[in-house]
Amino acid sequence: MKKQLQDLYEQTMSAIEKATTIDELEQLRVKVLGRKGDLTQVLRSLGTLPQEERIAIGKLSNELKEKIESTLENRKTVLTEQQINKLIMEDWLDVTLTMPGTLKHYDRGHLHPISQIQYEIEDIFTSMGFEILDGPEVETDYYNFEALNIPPYHPARDMQDTFWTEDGNLLRTHTSAIQIRGMERLKPPFRVIGPGRVFRYESIDASHENTFYQVEGMMVDKDISVAHLIYFMKTLLKEIFHKETTIRLRPGYFPFVEPGFELDIHCLICGGKGCSVCKYSGWVELLPCGLVHPNVLRYGNIDPNKWSGFAFGLGLNRLVMMRYGINDIRHFLSGDVRFLYQF
Amino acid sequence: MWISLNIIQDMVDIKDIPVADIANRLTMSTAEIDSIEYSHELLKNIYTAKILEVNKHPNADKLTVCKVDTGKGVLQVVCGAPNHKAGDIVALAPVGTKFTDTFTVTKAKLRGVESEGMLCSERELGISDDHSGIMIFPENTPIGVTLAQLYPNLIDVRFEIDNKSITHRPDLWSHTGFAREIAALFKKPFKYPVNFDLAKDFKSKETLKVTIKNPEGAPRYCGLMVNNITIKESPDWLKARVEAIGMRPINNIVDITNYVMAELGEPMHAFDRTKLRGNEIIVRFAEDGEHLTTLDGQEHILTSEDVVIADSGGAIALAGVMGGGNSEIEDNTTSIVLEAANFNPIYIRRTANRYNLRTEAAIRFEKSLDPELCPAAIIRCYELIKMLCPEAEAVTPIIDTYPVPAKPIIISTTTDFIRRKLGHSIDDNTIVSILTSLDFKVTKNNNSLIINVPSYRATKDISIPDDIVEEIGRIYGFDNIPEQPPFVPCAPPSRNIKRTFEREIKFILVNDFHMTEVSNYSFVGETLLNKLQLNENKELQLKNPLSKEQDRLRRSLIPNLIVNITTNQRFFDDFKIFELGRIYLKENRLSKDLATENTRVTGVIYSKKPAYPVFYDAKACCIGIFDKTLRTNYILKPKSDNLPPYAHPARSLELLVNNKPVALVCELHPKIANEFEIKGQVALFDIDVDLLLSLPQQDIVFKELPKFPDVPFDISILTDEKEYAATLVDMLYKADREYIADIEVISVYNQPPIPQGKKSVSFRITFRAKDHTLTPEEIDKLQKKVVAYVEKNGYKLR
Repeated sequence: MKKQLQDLYEQTMSAIEKATTIDELEQLRVKVLGRKGDLTQVLRSLGTLPQEERIAIGKLSNELKEKIESTLENRKTVLTEQQINKLIMEDWLDVTLTMPGTLKHYDRGHLHPISQIQYEIEDIFTSMGFEILDGPEVETDYYNFEALNIPPYHPARDMQDTFWTEDGNLLRTHTSAIQIRGMERLKPPFRVIGPGRVFRYESIDASHENTFYQVEGMMVDKDISVAHLIYFMKTLLKEIFHKETTIRLRPGYFPFVEPGFELDIHCLICGGKGCSVCKYSGWVELLPCGLVHPNVLRYGNIDPNKWSGFAFGLGLNRLVMMRYGINDIRHFLSGDVRFLYQF
Repeated sequence: MWISLNIIQDMVDIKDIPVADIANRLTMSTAEIDSIEYSHELLKNIYTAKILEVNKHPNADKLTVCKVDTGKGVLQVVCGAPNHKAGDIVALAPVGTKFTDTFTVTKAKLRGVESEGMLCSERELGISDDHSGIMIFPENTPIGVTLAQLYPNLIDVRFEIDNKSITHRPDLWSHTGFAREIAALFKKPFKYPVNFDLAKDFKSKETLKVTIKNPEGAPRYCGLMVNNITIKESPDWLKARVEAIGMRPINNIVDITNYVMAELGEPMHAFDRTKLRGNEIIVRFAEDGEHLTTLDGQEHILTSEDVVIADSGGAIALAGVMGGGNSEIEDNTTSIVLEAANFNPIYIRRTANRYNLRTEAAIRFEKSLDPELCPAAIIRCYELIKMLCPEAEAVTPIIDTYPVPAKPIIISTTTDFIRRKLGHSIDDNTIVSILTSLDFKVTKNNNSLIINVPSYRATKDISIPDDIVEEIGRIYGFDNIPEQPPFVPCAPPSRNIKRTFEREIKFILVNDFHMTEVSNYSFVGETLLNKLQLNENKELQLKNPLSKEQDRLRRSLIPNLIVNITTNQRFFDDFKIFELGRIYLKENRLSKDLATENTRVTGVIYSKKPAYPVFYDAKACCIGIFDKTLRTNYILKPKSDNLPPYAHPARSLELLVNNKPVALVCELHPKIANEFEIKGQVALFDIDVDLLLSLPQQDIVFKELPKFPDVPFDISILTDEKEYAATLVDMLYKADREYIADIEVISVYNQPPIPQGKKSVSFRITFRAKDHTLTPEEIDKLQKKVVAYVEKNGYKLR
């Protein structure tokens, strides 16, 4: 009987080993362990044995049964795994392929890089309580020059070569024109920015455009100082470049501010070591700014003895060029999709 | 403008300050230094040597092999010059001398013969233009001496100043101006280069009268007559300085006047006395039509807004701009009249612009010069003339006509005001010492200051307390002021509805419709408009366009977008671009003065081989904007008449709100597409953003989700090929007013067996009841009702 059991065990184990499908395993299970299975039969015949032998054989057969069951189970796991692996391999897909006719990554839309930075700046200033203003692109001499303390025949007019229109107006040469319109409309205290397109009568090359973008900013309140201006400029640059930037503030002449500054940042292309973008100086002129000239406040119907303010103008093209290492300003208005898809 | 540190050194001792420090302090406190140039640096390496022997080169006819004594040994040098012989003292550039980035003298074999240096011509040395042979020095010149030692005047450092940064500082258009700044910044004494005592020697041997007829054009005029002049070449030191300031040496008198202009900042002029008609110089406005030929040979017909210097015979100089040819100094001139005057900057600027004569003099006068410069410049000029022509003699005193002297500027302010404006507590002593270092005379009483502005800062530059704040700030260093946030109430700012709306539209097109934003010029030109047949000559024209292609302002965003298609179709088979920008309509005036600016959003969709007409994409984008911005109250109307010339007459659709067109969707007219050689299909949409923004927004009102099931019913209608689907949908809705919840076109078919000129349109009609599930009987009834209605309207079912 023991021998019989031993043989059955060996046969079964080798059959399990040979089985290649889950179905075969199931058949084996039924054949050996099923209600009418071979091993079940043996166990049923135990009763006919003498008690001593019955205990020994019973123990053995239970052991063997457990071994068979666990082997079956293991074999089943292995086979299942194999089967799934086979299915998976049949599913193999060339994931490197971009299937013609399907959605493509470059199908996404692209906001112009100038718009992107403009909105970032608008959001930064809005979060600091600045209102966004607008103004006409074709402006009068009054708003673009005269009310900004640049009377006719003033040499400062040379600093901004101007496009004139047939009706005696001009294409605004800076967003500063928005300042006066803002002051006329708002009562101090106020904080405003005015983003927009500006124009200069200038031949175009890699670093000069006749059309570009600026953001004008102005704050008018009690006792506004140079220290406040520095605070806002530093905060702005930190937010835009997501890190502390090294700046320097040096005198700059703009008739609508007094004192007036040029704010330079450490060139981000070369890290201040000197490169073609910063003309090997390590510094890039980014932001003309200053305290609003009392005459300008008067033009805006604001009493300079009661109120003071700061103003700045930020060139967006330069900022975008710094951020992405763009070396030619002409890309912005090229309408070249190969450029625009990069942002 | 160029500043020579040799000239500066005469006024302030800068020998012990590194050049980079001077440049940096000036940039940080005064004016931007664009570049630093080390003049004739080369001469520090090149030294004199004596030629011992000259031998023929064995392999080249034109070359010689020279043995030269350097004072420290003998070198062999191959030389190609024709003019040297044994015994000559010459300039030797030793191995390692760097002439340019690409040329350094090396030890090399020239045609097989070793050469250990280079003998130089005057041009190679930068001393003159002479390149006919190598430079040969006088016999007694010592050998082994650097050329820098022989020509100390040529060794200089020059700063190029950014002219824009000194627009407001007339005093800085001179070396004295920069010397004063350097003296203040480095706390050094400043020495003014004019010795006023010299005027005591001026005799009254001759008569010269000056009359200013129009003081509003010329507030001050100083003249001095000098005799016994000999016109000759300037000495080397003066030539070197004239070249250092960026001018060409002419002769001693012209060089002196130019030098004094660069040194003191006062443009000067010298007339030949013998050419003056009479004894009187008259300063007046020109007569309309008066003729004057200036020194450059140009003849000008003047206007009564030009100031001229005249004698009894007429104009002899265009005041403050350029002298006249009729009184020009020539080689035989022996008697001159020196002029140093002050002119109204506005007239000078207008005259210089009118005749396009932006001379060094005009550039300075238009900045508002200090009238006190006039006598100083005359005296300085005289001193230099005496130096160069010791026999020269001033035969008149300074004839100084100054009818209405300028009032000195006195500013009252307080140290508190200055601190408040800077936002930094600089102590009183520092404030006063900064002002004093800048030549301001300060009277202090507690914290109040009474400040006398020096005349050279008082013409326009400094007039109000805020100007004083700048002086303190820049010398103290704006960089030394720590940042400080202001104490202000925080509240959300009011929203700019227009800006927000523009942004919303851009985000819809980019994010929902995957379009790419372009930015085009506001300009267009005639050629482009003609090509589009859009040229109605209604554009706002530029008076001074840069080119014919950009000579007017756009009335539509479409022309430049069409150009964008032609540039991009080479690289992409499909793309969708849009621009949101302004057009300019001169016939409508926004206010009294300005043309209307209308904001548009215009998109173009391009496909080389579209799977379906691209029109439908353009339509989806356009309607998408209306729907997403909740302006849903529009009517879609096919349009075939009164279309713009770029629109396809059989593929155009208008969006109307209250009968007002707000947008147009169309395909590009095939003729235009041909004209622009566009290979593919183009559809576009053009929306009036201002009008769209003004439309009322529809509220979003929640609708209960349907509780009872939908019952779809598909039906195909045979109809004329040119019947609009919208007509059929409208008709179908009328079939039952209660249970039809939705109607959708699911296919359009016009292939056989559909007869030609016909099409079959299939609709999915959705039946639904609000309050119960439709019974089979009800459904059957509804289907029959629809079919009957369709047939009653004269359509055939398929």
